[in-house]
Amino acid sequence: MDGLLELWTYLSDVTHWSGPSGIPTRTIQHVWMTTLALGTGVVVAVPLGMWIGHRRRGSLLAVNIVNIGRAIPAFGILALVFIATERIGFLPSYITLVILSLVPLFVNTVTGIEEVDPDVVDAARGMGLSERQVLWRVELPLGMPLILTGFRLAFVDVVATATLAALVAWGGLGRFIIDGFAQLDQGQMLTGALFVALVAVVGDRLVLWAEAAASTGPRGN
Amino acid sequence: MIVLEEVTKEFPGAERPAVGGLSMEIPTGEIVMLVGPSGCGKTTTLRMINRLTEPTSGAILLDGVDVTKQDPVEVRRGIGYVIQRVGLFPHRTIAQNIATVPDLLGWDDSKVTDRVQELTGLVELDPEMLDRYPHELSGGQRQRVGVARALAADPPVLLMDEPFGAVDPIVRGRLQDELRALQERLHKTIVFVTHDIDEAIRLGDRVAVLNVGGVLEQYCPPEELLAAPANAFVEDFLGGERGLKRLSLRTVGELELETVTTAQVGSSGAAAKERMRAQGLDWITVVDDDRLVGWLEAGDIGDRVPDEARRFAAHTTVDTSLRQALDSVISSRTGVAVVVDGEERLVGMIAADQLAEQLTR
Amino acid sequence: MRTRVFAAPDDLVNWEWVGRNLDTIAERTWQHVYLTVIAVAVGFVVAFALSLWILSNPRVGKPVTQLSAIAYTIPSLAIFALLVPVTGLSTLTAEIGLVMYTLLVLVRNTVAGLEGVPDEVLDAGAGMGYEDRRLLWRVRLPLAMPVIIAGIRIATVSTVGLVTITAVIGQGGLGWFILRGLNTVANRSTFVLVGVVLSVLLAVVFDLGIQRFGRYFTPWARKVA
Repeated sequence: MDGLLELWTYLSDVTHWSGPSGIPTRTIQHVWMTTLALGTGVVVAVPLGMWIGHRRRGSLLAVNIVNIGRAIPAFGILALVFIATERIGFLPSYITLVILSLVPLFVNTVTGIEEVDPDVVDAARGMGLSERQVLWRVELPLGMPLILTGFRLAFVDVVATATLAALVAWGGLGRFIIDGFAQLDQGQMLTGALFVALVAVVGDRLVLWAEAAASTGPRGN
Repeated sequence: MIVLEEVTKEFPGAERPAVGGLSMEIPTGEIVMLVGPSGCGKTTTLRMINRLTEPTSGAILLDGVDVTKQDPVEVRRGIGYVIQRVGLFPHRTIAQNIATVPDLLGWDDSKVTDRVQELTGLVELDPEMLDRYPHELSGGQRQRVGVARALAADPPVLLMDEPFGAVDPIVRGRLQDELRALQERLHKTIVFVTHDIDEAIRLGDRVAVLNVGGVLEQYCPPEELLAAPANAFVEDFLGGERGLKRLSLRTVGELELETVTTAQVGSSGAAAKERMRAQGLDWITVVDDDRLVGWLEAGDIGDRVPDEARRFAAHTTVDTSLRQALDSVISSRTGVAVVVDGEERLVGMIAADQLAEQLTR
Repeated sequence: MRTRVFAAPDDLVNWEWVGRNLDTIAERTWQHVYLTVIAVAVGFVVAFALSLWILSNPRVGKPVTQLSAIAYTIPSLAIFALLVPVTGLSTLTAEIGLVMYTLLVLVRNTVAGLEGVPDEVLDAGAGMGYEDRRLLWRVRLPLAMPVIIAGIRIATVSTVGLVTITAVIGQGGLGWFILRGLNTVANRSTFVLVGVVLSVLLAVVFDLGIQRFGRYFTPWARKVA
């Protein structure tokens, strides 16, 4: 109950709604950082995954990457990037989030493309589609549901880890939580938790919605 | 005896009953084949007997006791059950799979082990398989294990749902023969579902032809079915080559065979040629005492009938089906099939016109 | 902003510090192990109960998985922060959060495993007179083991990772070293590397251990795939 009261007190203070450390600014920072990292991840991982998936040699690689990727904690990656870059703030946070997004995006792209029914691919080749056309017109659309699942996994990881970026002196909503802990300010801490949860759940629903829209297209099977 | 009395099964949401008021009797010790197109309720009927499917109404009497009023688990433990995809437990060895029902019934270990050994021999399974897991066996071997598992507690009744549907034709034929041989020894009451009319005719003591909705169109021994289909549906379901199918049910031994003109090994060549002339034949069957040796043309014979002769292309015995005999006759140079008994002794011959007569009867 | 606080590469790990602090390292490793084991064990018990409920009542399947999917979506730091006003900076707070994260994958795999048993096997079992209960414990569960074990492996490895974050609420096991590395200047890389390397090792050891354990209990699956 105390917590709720403190949350209300914090939220109802107008000064918390403006300026560089206000709730709107930090929410935008968080969303922007997530988008930027995911965007970078997609640009790097999806084309690479498509190429390797098309050659159908990547399953073992994918399995190994998943296993290794899962064993290294996100918090650990952040700390490693931090000591490697010798920087605080935006750069180590951004690099960490990109690295995190790469694993699910790459692995799901490879798997998505590889798991397209070989008969369908064979039929496409048989009808005279070029390799490029096979990839873009057959494998990519059919692999899309799995690629989008990878995107969703990446999103969840990135939003969550973006809150940890406050520990290397970046902004975002994680600041409220970390500062709240440090200053024993439950109102601030709960504000951060609430908004970060909101961003994560809403974002996840959006991705899910996009996923559903994509898989009920004309080629749905 | 299994008696179905006005058995009906309606599945919720279905327009018409899967089985509507089916009555039939399955005599003890016989193989009854339920055959029909998909949707005829044959599997549903089978599954109602061991209550994997609950009948909506009607009674199913097993030796006079209504199974619908008994504990289904008890009923099932007393009935063998074999299905197309076998359904072996993948996490148990073959021996453990076979021992499933005896274990459920609480037999002691040594008795179970003995029984497993016995069944392994019965279904002609390599004992080395016993310690393996199901995925290490071929389809045919797995189905043998399925049959052994169903027979384990020696149930008087066996329900078989397209058990040989998923194996290749050669293995299927062998498994069918083995089942017939097994039945000669065990005399189980077997209810066997199939969509394959040839399998029904080959295995069944009686065949029940079912139409969509579990309508019993005809129920009789296979010869009768082929000779006199009750209506257009049955006739249609039996398909073409009905005459040939009838021939496949009978053996050469059932016919009165014609006498064969023979020549003994070592007898006078001139006498043999004279007999050929008298009969208007350009060949003669050579025997050594009463054992069949082969056949010779006049030009092959010198002073004496030699002990080397041309072999007949087909080997026809009294147990050969008439259908196979017909095939031998029409593909043979001589236009007849010479028949021997189990000890290779010549018993007579069969000609095309004789078979044709059987076809028209 | 640029900070020049790093030692030369040859001093990446201060072995002398490591030697002096073996007690702390062992203590923190042990804390990491028990936070993980308790979370996965409790998570499995809850997930198993939920799975049986879903199996016997398929209508609850969707809401349960959706709820655990939403819980999985919320960043762990937020969950811990939301729990602190109720359960304080305690082990309980950490465990509640960690258990929540295991549920999605454990429920999903347990249900998939139990439902993935081939129909013909269940049909044959029922046909030979297995009661529902026996069918569940003697057929469904053993056959579901590989999928369930796979779920436990995934849940355990990600829990090992998440435990590091509980350092922020004063728990953390090996995460304590990582957090310390971020907050101090002296021996910074030593702290980070000790925390990260040991938690990765821990994850690998758990993963291989559970895999071994699973193989021992599913000898029949050994030659498949």
